[in-house]
Amino acid sequence: MTVAETHCPYCALQCAMRLAPEASGRLAASPREFPTNGGGMCQKGWTSAELLDSPERITVPLRRDGGRFVEVGWDEALDEIAVRVRALQEAEGADAVAVFGGGGLTNEKAYALGKFTRTVLGTRYIDYNGRFCMSSAAAAGNRAFGLDRGLPFPLTDLGDAEAVLLLGSNIADTMPPAVQHLGGARDRGGLVVVDPRRSATAALCDDGAGIHLAPVPGTDLVLLLGLTHVVLAERLADVDYLAARTQGFEDVRRSVAAWWPERVASVTGIDEATLRRVARRLAAAAPHRGGRGAYVLTGRGAEQHRDGTDTVTAAINLALCLGLPGRDRSGYGCLTGQGNGQGGREHGQKSDQLPGYRMLADPAAREHVAGVWGVDPASLPEPGVPAVELLRRLGTPEGPKALFVHGSNLVVSAPDARAVTDRLRALDLLVVCDFVASETAALADFVLPTTQWAEEEGTMTSLEGRVIRRRAAVAAPAGVRSELEIMAALGARLGARVALPTDPREVFDELRRASAGGKADYAGISYDRLDAGEALYWPCPDDTHPGTPRMFTDSFATPDGRARMVAVTPVGPEDDVRDDAPVYLVTGRVLQHYQSGAQTRRVDRLNSSMPAAYVELHPYLAARLGIEGVESVRITSSRGSMVAQARISADIRPDTVFAPFHFSGLGRVNSVTNAATDPISGMPEFKVCAVVVEADDTGVIDTATAREVVA
Amino acid sequence: MTRQRVVVVGAGMVGVRFAEELIKDDRDGRFEVVVLGEEEYEPYNRILLTELVAGRADLSGLSLLCPSGITLRRGAPVSAIDRDARTVTAGGETWPYDHLVLATGARARVPRVPGLDGPAVEGLPGGVFVLRSVDDARGITAAALNARRAVVIGGGPLGVEAACGMRLRGVDVDVVSFAGHLLDRDLDPEPGRLLADAVADLGIGFHGEAALASVGVDEHGHVDAVVLDDGRTLAADLLVLACGAVPETALAAAAGLETAHGIVVGDDLATTRDPRVHAIGDCAQTPSGTAGLVAPGWDQARSLARRLVDGVASEAVPVQLDGAAMRLKAAGVSLVAMGRKASNAGDARVLTLNDASARRYVEVVVEGDELVGMTCLGSADLAASLSVQFGRRGVLPLDPLALLAPTAGAAPASAGSPTTMPGSTTVCRCNGVTKRDLVHAWDCGATSLDALAADTRATTGCGGCRSLVCGIVDWLQASDPDDPGTEPTSHATSDAREPVVKGA
Repeated sequence: MTVAETHCPYCALQCAMRLAPEASGRLAASPREFPTNGGGMCQKGWTSAELLDSPERITVPLRRDGGRFVEVGWDEALDEIAVRVRALQEAEGADAVAVFGGGGLTNEKAYALGKFTRTVLGTRYIDYNGRFCMSSAAAAGNRAFGLDRGLPFPLTDLGDAEAVLLLGSNIADTMPPAVQHLGGARDRGGLVVVDPRRSATAALCDDGAGIHLAPVPGTDLVLLLGLTHVVLAERLADVDYLAARTQGFEDVRRSVAAWWPERVASVTGIDEATLRRVARRLAAAAPHRGGRGAYVLTGRGAEQHRDGTDTVTAAINLALCLGLPGRDRSGYGCLTGQGNGQGGREHGQKSDQLPGYRMLADPAAREHVAGVWGVDPASLPEPGVPAVELLRRLGTPEGPKALFVHGSNLVVSAPDARAVTDRLRALDLLVVCDFVASETAALADFVLPTTQWAEEEGTMTSLEGRVIRRRAAVAAPAGVRSELEIMAALGARLGARVALPTDPREVFDELRRASAGGKADYAGISYDRLDAGEALYWPCPDDTHPGTPRMFTDSFATPDGRARMVAVTPVGPEDDVRDDAPVYLVTGRVLQHYQSGAQTRRVDRLNSSMPAAYVELHPYLAARLGIEGVESVRITSSRGSMVAQARISADIRPDTVFAPFHFSGLGRVNSVTNAATDPISGMPEFKVCAVVVEADDTGVIDTATAREVVA
Repeated sequence: MTRQRVVVVGAGMVGVRFAEELIKDDRDGRFEVVVLGEEEYEPYNRILLTELVAGRADLSGLSLLCPSGITLRRGAPVSAIDRDARTVTAGGETWPYDHLVLATGARARVPRVPGLDGPAVEGLPGGVFVLRSVDDARGITAAALNARRAVVIGGGPLGVEAACGMRLRGVDVDVVSFAGHLLDRDLDPEPGRLLADAVADLGIGFHGEAALASVGVDEHGHVDAVVLDDGRTLAADLLVLACGAVPETALAAAAGLETAHGIVVGDDLATTRDPRVHAIGDCAQTPSGTAGLVAPGWDQARSLARRLVDGVASEAVPVQLDGAAMRLKAAGVSLVAMGRKASNAGDARVLTLNDASARRYVEVVVEGDELVGMTCLGSADLAASLSVQFGRRGVLPLDPLALLAPTAGAAPASAGSPTTMPGSTTVCRCNGVTKRDLVHAWDCGATSLDALAADTRATTGCGGCRSLVCGIVDWLQASDPDDPGTEPTSHATSDAREPVVKGA
């Protein structure tokens, strides 16, 4: 056990932490100074080390034997998995096997997983849970800027801005230390938070610090069109910037002509005076009007819609009209959610991508990457399908019959989770790599126990595109293997013709070569440079390059260097409210838990302060439904229902209920959510659907959701 | 596959929207769409013409996005329809069609009174305008530069918006209406009276129950006065006629189609005598009436597009004409009215807030669990929040009084002072630290900010609670019985501090 300077295992803020042994001998985490977290850390980070020696840790491979798991040796497990994979592929072809990755995997693992899938398994079926959280912002960023880096500027730049428009992001709960970077905007009265709830983040607008807008769920796109309309009608746009740095403005101007403020008010519920006030506040902060600078930022609330890509595009269009991207103390950014949500989408887990943000369909990209891997470019599979479609095909006659899951808990985190569970049950072979018995692991044929963050070396790429080092502080329990080792061992059994190194540094060096020349170019980033303390943001094409903290200052990553403005049209929710489902459901996170909760629900301190799901509803709605106190409510959509405790609060719209998505069993809100997807990004519409809300008199509240013990 | 040719007559908001919907629905590319527009301008947002008058919009801000993949002809007025040959003639060109969609809109009604009895709209005296087109709006804007007194005939939304717009340009304005109050179609008398007071505050006069008798014209052929039927004369060098619109049916009538008030169509939007010819928008007269507002026109556009794509076998669903909202766009006045009002509420509950001196009037009409009507003057935020509840069942407050003051009783939680704050109050959200936790840590020896932070982790997340924790430290210092320098503070009214046995 050593003292290690590393980063938190959870969200994309990647707070810097120090892991050191306590007097008791246990490892403990404490925050250290770092630009993104400014020395702060939330409960999740403080308690993160508790999971290292948790009794719920899996340390032996498990094989399903009828209705229960039995412990097996590694060789036995890997041998049998390899035999079954071979048999399936011989019978039905390479695509009989699929892979599902995660945005929490290190860059090294994400890269290796993509390589393993496309060379050893040879299947086109790979995608990952980042499809659920980053894909719409990524698609919109690529379309507008020619490149997708969540924040194309350091997070700390926000602190100097005069105004920040934050759409659908509750960072006060999801990444609390990041709140300090909103201080500048709050001091100047320039924070604008768009959220149907008065979330902890929306409350930061109180006392003159800014404006909270609570539009009808699913209407962010209309709101953005209205703001852009006002900016143009009131001649607040940066016409010089638009002329010099963009193309497509004319179409955008015409498209917002149909969204005058009174019409926007009738759809969003945000009145025209407020709309004008917000547009003017943002414009006053814009550089061309002498302001200090302004940012437009989106989160999952704005993105997880079937028109999420277009919603982000509308946010980017607004930012471009105000002349923000690429300017000092200004810009557009997307707040990445998962720990390595950024790096995870750059190195080959996406169905259509190769390392370095290269496209699988691009012959030059195939040739380059195949060259690094030492295989024939023609042997690489074609692009597969995005996550929701991949899950739909599992276990169907034409679809994959086996699935490998890495770093994801689909049974809790996928939309329309009941249907997903059915698909997983229909598989011939489900292999889950995890270190706890997640709800998805509980369905597996094999569970392969893996190392945890504090037991391994590696890199993560944080929400600002900065590559940071994860360092080992403690040896992994005997019997546990890293994903790199698992892939190498499986590769050997499956006759791999490529090298599958198990040393993270070696994998990273290969990743550097594979990404060289790509959009996300890591060629110049090395463990040595990172360990020497350099702050390296990609692209960093060679060993002497300083990295790129701020992008787009001179040009965008498009062929002509201009940002593309694309006119967009609101579509609205697929599952919209109606007489027999009159209430909107929105979902989100709570401070104590991360993602599916597979980790945080197993930390006592977190679990005791937030042990189960709840449903937040307005007193008016509660009164109409006869819900008077803390009792359980059932919310039901055409897909399924959940039951959880009622929390009555005036901090939510009366026509909307909220539930956190970290819980399983009866408290699993993803039983209710809709799997309709954005046609461009494939991102599902988690953030809005129509439900019935009723008092639940069955008397069953699922308090035991936290732990499902297998074996 | 031969594509079917759809010709749309009229490039207004409804005609263009229809083309857009058709292109969007037509995934197989079965249709070829031609839109023929009379005006030289590219398609624009007619709704915003009064914003142009007010100087709150640019001409360039009115242009609408034209769907790609269609053929648009501007400055191409259709002169004839040959239903046997299935062609239309426009500007010397002949366009064959498989389906013809008439979206010819409406023209402004011009009262036939002395002074306005010229042959056509082009023959209006100088300084006299209708307000239907960009040219009209530009004419009014130019005239307002020199005008001193303007009169608007017509107390509907267009008249009020035009009056407010001209007033914003510094012109004195009078509005004349045959009705007793403004917006008589949309408002009951009381809110109508308040609206008149609101516009009077802006400097706009209102003359109700008066009709235009004649228009005085000077020797240069320019308006100089307006004479009302009660004998009064109003000085005017700018006159805007906003007294209604007449569906544009001449082309249809000449082609032998049935016309009445408008072009007569069924619920399927097909004309009665020719199933290949349809009419939508202001020119169409459906069994429920004529649209008159853009929203039902757009609904008709969507409905017809879907019908053409899906085939005509499905049952025609009538497009609802009532319930469409009237939203005034006027600088300085906020007004939205939709659905039923007090005078036609029937058995429904009507709640009214009448705040006359503030020019504020809010009325909600509730039937069962549904908001079926609302009138909202001078309260833009309520208008917006009520708009999105209109017609949605099941989510209204049980007591509709809450609709009039939705945030009443929802006082934002206040942290209060360290003394009165309950012990269970969370001080540090990031780390879930309550005041009670801090007090406990203090009593266990953590008697400084740093020590409290180390013990409880308060302030170590986002740092937002630092000042609150400092306040609690000050309060604890002041009230610590071990501190000889200060008198203990009584906590009798608070659960803030529990009895502590040192060393326990």
